[in-house]
Amino acid sequence: MRSLQIPKSPKVISGVVILGVFIVLTVIGPWIAPYSPNTNRFSTSQMPSWHHLLGTTLLGQDVFSQLLVGCRETMVVGFVAGFIATVLSIVVGLAAGYIGGKTDEGLSLLSNVFLAIPGLPLMIVINSYLPPGKQANPLVIGVVISLTGWAWGARVLRAQTMSLRDRDFVEAARIIGESRRRIMFGEIGPNLLPVLASSLLFTILYAVGLFTTLAFLGLTPLSTWNWGTMLYWSNTQNAAIAGQWWWVGPPGIAIALVGTSLALINFGIDEFINPRLRAGGLSARQRRKVGMSRRPHLGFTPVRRVSATKPTGSN
Amino acid sequence: MRVILRRLGVYAFTAWVTITVNFILPRLMPGNPFDQIAAKLTGVVTAQELQAIKIQLGGDINQPMIEQYWHYLNQLAHFNLGVSITLSSPVSTILAGQIWWTVGLIGVAAVLSFLIGTVLGVVFGWMRGSRADNVIPVATFLQSVPYYFLGTVLIMAFASHWHFFPLENAYDLSITPGWHWDFISSLLRHSELPILSIVLSSLAGWMLGMRNMMVTIAGEDFVLMAVAKGLPRRRVIWHAARSAILPSIANFTLAIGLLVSGSLLVEQIFNYPGVGNLILEAVGGEDYPLIQGIFLLITFTVLGASFLADILYYVLDPRIRTATAH
Amino acid sequence: MTLEHNILDVQDFCVDYGYGESAVRAVSDVSFTLGASRVLGVAGESGSGKSTLVYGLTRLLRAPGVISDGEVTFTIGAEGDQRAFDLLAATEQDLRAIRWSHISIVLQSALSALNPMRRIGREFDEVLRTHDKNSSKESRHERAIELLAMVGLDADRLDRFPHELSGGQRQRIMIAMALALRPELVIMDEPTTALDVVTQREIVSELYELRRQLGFAMIFITHDLSLLVELADEIMVMYAGHIVERAAATDLYHAPRHPYTLGLMNSFPPLHGERKELSGIPGTPPDLKSLPAGCSFSPRCAYAMDICHSSKPPLVPVDETGRLAACWLHDPSHSHSVPVELARKHVRGVEAQ
Repeated sequence: MRSLQIPKSPKVISGVVILGVFIVLTVIGPWIAPYSPNTNRFSTSQMPSWHHLLGTTLLGQDVFSQLLVGCRETMVVGFVAGFIATVLSIVVGLAAGYIGGKTDEGLSLLSNVFLAIPGLPLMIVINSYLPPGKQANPLVIGVVISLTGWAWGARVLRAQTMSLRDRDFVEAARIIGESRRRIMFGEIGPNLLPVLASSLLFTILYAVGLFTTLAFLGLTPLSTWNWGTMLYWSNTQNAAIAGQWWWVGPPGIAIALVGTSLALINFGIDEFINPRLRAGGLSARQRRKVGMSRRPHLGFTPVRRVSATKPTGSN
Repeated sequence: MRVILRRLGVYAFTAWVTITVNFILPRLMPGNPFDQIAAKLTGVVTAQELQAIKIQLGGDINQPMIEQYWHYLNQLAHFNLGVSITLSSPVSTILAGQIWWTVGLIGVAAVLSFLIGTVLGVVFGWMRGSRADNVIPVATFLQSVPYYFLGTVLIMAFASHWHFFPLENAYDLSITPGWHWDFISSLLRHSELPILSIVLSSLAGWMLGMRNMMVTIAGEDFVLMAVAKGLPRRRVIWHAARSAILPSIANFTLAIGLLVSGSLLVEQIFNYPGVGNLILEAVGGEDYPLIQGIFLLITFTVLGASFLADILYYVLDPRIRTATAH
Repeated sequence: MTLEHNILDVQDFCVDYGYGESAVRAVSDVSFTLGASRVLGVAGESGSGKSTLVYGLTRLLRAPGVISDGEVTFTIGAEGDQRAFDLLAATEQDLRAIRWSHISIVLQSALSALNPMRRIGREFDEVLRTHDKNSSKESRHERAIELLAMVGLDADRLDRFPHELSGGQRQRIMIAMALALRPELVIMDEPTTALDVVTQREIVSELYELRRQLGFAMIFITHDLSLLVELADEIMVMYAGHIVERAAATDLYHAPRHPYTLGLMNSFPPLHGERKELSGIPGTPPDLKSLPAGCSFSPRCAYAMDICHSSKPPLVPVDETGRLAACWLHDPSHSHSVPVELARKHVRGVEAQ
């Protein structure tokens, strides 16, 4: 069984740190926010200052407080949707890949259908029919997002399961007579971990993206705060054209940073799954440290004589 | 050929699912959107059209479900998508007028970003281990920026602050559309910034994927053989790139959905005409026939694009092509 | 200089994997020469450094491989008009010019060595065109057909993709391609390992024939000594990056001097001849990161003495013929008697009986 030993590259570490900061903010954000995100008693459209670290909106609200408060809803919906979708993709992917035959054909077709239908328009349609009461709960939206986002993970997991199915140790378990479920979750499951982790990261990324997009369109309840709603308000009030970068910028950058952190962590998983991405990969900085002036070119093995004891004729 | 037919089957099935979801959704939801619509539309449209909308939205509950479904399919087959509530004209007419803006904008942007991203991915993949690697964190960030946000930032920087580009619309509204240079140049000027924001935000994904594949393929024996044969570097890279591009094309199905979704919002940001701009008006006005029509149109467009990508893959990969030929 | 000059002269060649402090030595102080038109066999288990050695010599070794010491001189041309290339000092441009027209290589898996996206004909065309820009498309096509005929394949194979051919056909195509520009040196990296025994047999005899006709020199890597004895003039056995024995092919095969060579021979059935019990070698190849003290083979060696665990044996002549072995058993000051299976007498020319 392979345990998940992610290479500790600078990319992975910075990804973990950035994501960690946002997870902490998810927990404490609403508590440490200096003001209520709704209160509009400040002077309007102020540039950032010590009183308002990220300035104020056209309505006189504190942008920094909105950002801190909005972190929780954005992250929770993204993670919940990501987790549900991943569970769905595990069930579908493992079943399709392991059982095979008609089950596989049916489930693969289902994944292909969900993969082909674009998520945002589907969400908009579903959302437009959600009765107003349900609409008020962002978590419901998260659940619906997860229903549109599991197919990719299922496809990747299916492929990986199929390649694992015929390996020796699975064959052995089958001969010993272990139950199908035991083999699927006990033997194959752990070996899927890296692929699973990667798929989870991408699904969270997808969910955060889709949720904030819906919010930006004003399709999530406007009574609560997330980064998408912040962008919705700044957009409806033409903050960009008015040049109010402190209002437009922070929520967008926050969304991008969460996405970046997930993708950076995924680089580590990629290198774990695909050793070629790792082997021979020496960053420019590492190379300078060992005194190599140029990167190794494929098919032109560098010559570096380390033992200075022997005089060399030609160089 | 069997592979292609199989894929076609999947898309046909997906199309049917989409159509059926479109039929079922309004009927699943509690409440009856039809009543409020009927109230809005009385007098605006003919009784016959009202009946069509009624069928579409599940308003005519007296008919058995299967008959409603049959009627609905029949209407669709005649491109009858009902009548828009807010715009008071047939949905199919509205969409026919708007779809070309969207297809033009997204099509050009998608092709550009795929080409540029792939070429950059090939180059950066080959230069792995050089300072060019520093582009990865930047690209990762760019990839994570929502399209609409990047569009907003571009507006803020180039159009609003420095006045490099026009701010909104597809062309200068004071010019009469037609086949003359004034109009065409205005059209091009106005498309630059929307295209730029779509290309910038979707470029990084292609690039990073292609870079990964190049690094992976460079580890294959046949690339080393190309070097061993003394081929010039350009040809060696071509050997690798030709294989590395296949996964990018295979992933097109997933990417095109995200790209279209993202681009719809870019239209909205730049107030560019098209389906994306329309969808928000439709949602805002609770214009259900229009929402559903747009959903069908977008999904079908994406399915069509995916199918084209599948054919391209089939053409490019001799392993699939010849496996089915024999 | 004799009539037969040395095409390849390798001195104290070392290869590391990794850089700086994390570097691991994969090939240590290998020296040998290869005469023009001669065949050198290199044998050893996987991980012995035999492939690393030849990829290093040709500068084809992938990162993180680094050549850390030594001299490699490649000499071509007839007597009196010879050109010598220092392969380790050569620029990329120099190497490109030498590659394939003078040194070509055949890999173990022809399936992965051929571009899956291309028809065979295009691969031939490309390599012929690269080294002769002025050639016409027709002449290149003719040449490709001629080359295929040399390895017994029909011209219609040129229209096929690699996946449409059998393993044996693919490997024959690789061999034909390796000979396309009439190189002076062909490197064969386990070219028959992936094939079934019958095809192996056929390809080896074809190679023998081709070499006799065309007279190229060859380095043939394998872990199967019985293949080498038919092809090679001289055999080098490697273990943990070192040469442990080097001798004329038949001498080495019929009268091995190093316990590892003996073990390697017992791991494979001979292609023809009597059937022997295969004993193999106990244990696994060593981890290059932490080689045992003394002789690297000592932990797996049935004859290991005390000195083998503490001191590394040098590669020295072990008898009057000048054959080399790195083993303390043959040093009278450390060993009173040599085990009988490592002291067989071999009289050339009588091994056939």
